[in-house]
Amino acid sequence: MSSKGPKRARAVSAQRLAQQRAAERRRRALVAGAIAAAVLLVSVVIGIAVYTSRDKAPDEFAIPKGATATGVVVGDPKAEVTVDLYVDYLCPICKEFEDQAGAELDKLVADGTIKIDYHPVAYLDRLSSTEYSTRASAAAGAAIEAGVFDEFTKQLFANQPPEGGAGLSNDTLIELGAKAGASSPEFAQAVRDQKFAGWTAALTEAASKRGVSGTPTVLVDGQRVENLSVDALKAAIAKNTPQ
Amino acid sequence: MNTSAPSRLSPAWLRWAPWISTALRVALGAVWVIAGASKVADLGESVRAVRAYQLLPEWAVPAVGAGLPFLEIALGLLLIVGFSVRFAALVSAALLVAFIAGIVSASARGLQIDCGCFGGGGELGAGEQPRYGAEIARDAGLLAVAGLLAWRPAGRFSVDRWIAGSEVDA
Repeated sequence: MSSKGPKRARAVSAQRLAQQRAAERRRRALVAGAIAAAVLLVSVVIGIAVYTSRDKAPDEFAIPKGATATGVVVGDPKAEVTVDLYVDYLCPICKEFEDQAGAELDKLVADGTIKIDYHPVAYLDRLSSTEYSTRASAAAGAAIEAGVFDEFTKQLFANQPPEGGAGLSNDTLIELGAKAGASSPEFAQAVRDQKFAGWTAALTEAASKRGVSGTPTVLVDGQRVENLSVDALKAAIAKNTPQ
Repeated sequence: MNTSAPSRLSPAWLRWAPWISTALRVALGAVWVIAGASKVADLGESVRAVRAYQLLPEWAVPAVGAGLPFLEIALGLLLIVGFSVRFAALVSAALLVAFIAGIVSASARGLQIDCGCFGGGGELGAGEQPRYGAEIARDAGLLAVAGLLAWRPAGRFSVDRWIAGSEVDA
């Protein structure tokens, strides 16, 4: 028995060493896991902090005179039927819709059948290198103050830049404003300063909260119209018009 | 990886396993970093993309929309440098399961949205149709990668290996 003593002692110590090593490995892995979890948690907190710091309260941004916090109402406020239009000035289908249905909607606004709650959202900022959607919408805010929103919107769609490019420059937006009838230095300055970009961000957020997940979105008295043909739109409006 | 654990892998596989693990780890990490980076520039858009799923209560939407891009980048970096790979792989798998569930749910409810996986506010572009099938297939593939990494996290060029010391090679 005694001759086996040292051998067994070596085996026992080797086993103990292995156990210690395994325990140390587990400890290190646990500490590493805890650090990794902390890193992920901190990253989430940073994201939320960055987002909330740029989120502005309603009284912190300028609303164009004549507009609301979520858009601008065109037509007689007493009109029975409300049509909500969510458009992005960079969105090609919005232009198409405007080209096809614009005249009919203008007619219905003119005869007092409908009022249009226009929401020029900036959903497609990633599709231009200069956040054209935001700049165009903010410029439309300036056009509201100048009293030429309708005409400016027509100009923007008639001169719509392609998706994926740089969009129209601020100078071009100012020129289009002048064509629409806003030639004041105040309008030009508001476009250059993007005075109403905060309004654009707020109305974009409001649209998202209302469940608008794309442009164009058209609601007639709060009901979404899926088919955007002129006939379907007229039918939806007629259904809501009291006889 | 515990060296004494019995393995069902053949010796040839065992020799390659750490390299395969390394490649998968860096690839999955890169996907996370790209996905996060494409959202981080426009957090408002990311929040809208989350909201477009109409799954979370409104109070949770900004936290998820703003937190997710940063979480994705951090997770990707952990994987790329090989820090706590098993943990990072398990978090990846949990996220991917949540994403797949979200897309399946959006598809089942007939929502017309873009997944917002690599940026975008959930809006479809002009004439775009939802691509739920492809999005689910991609996430399922990434989930398989995350599963493999959780199973065999040990690879070359990892911080884990450096922390454990050279005696704990896989």
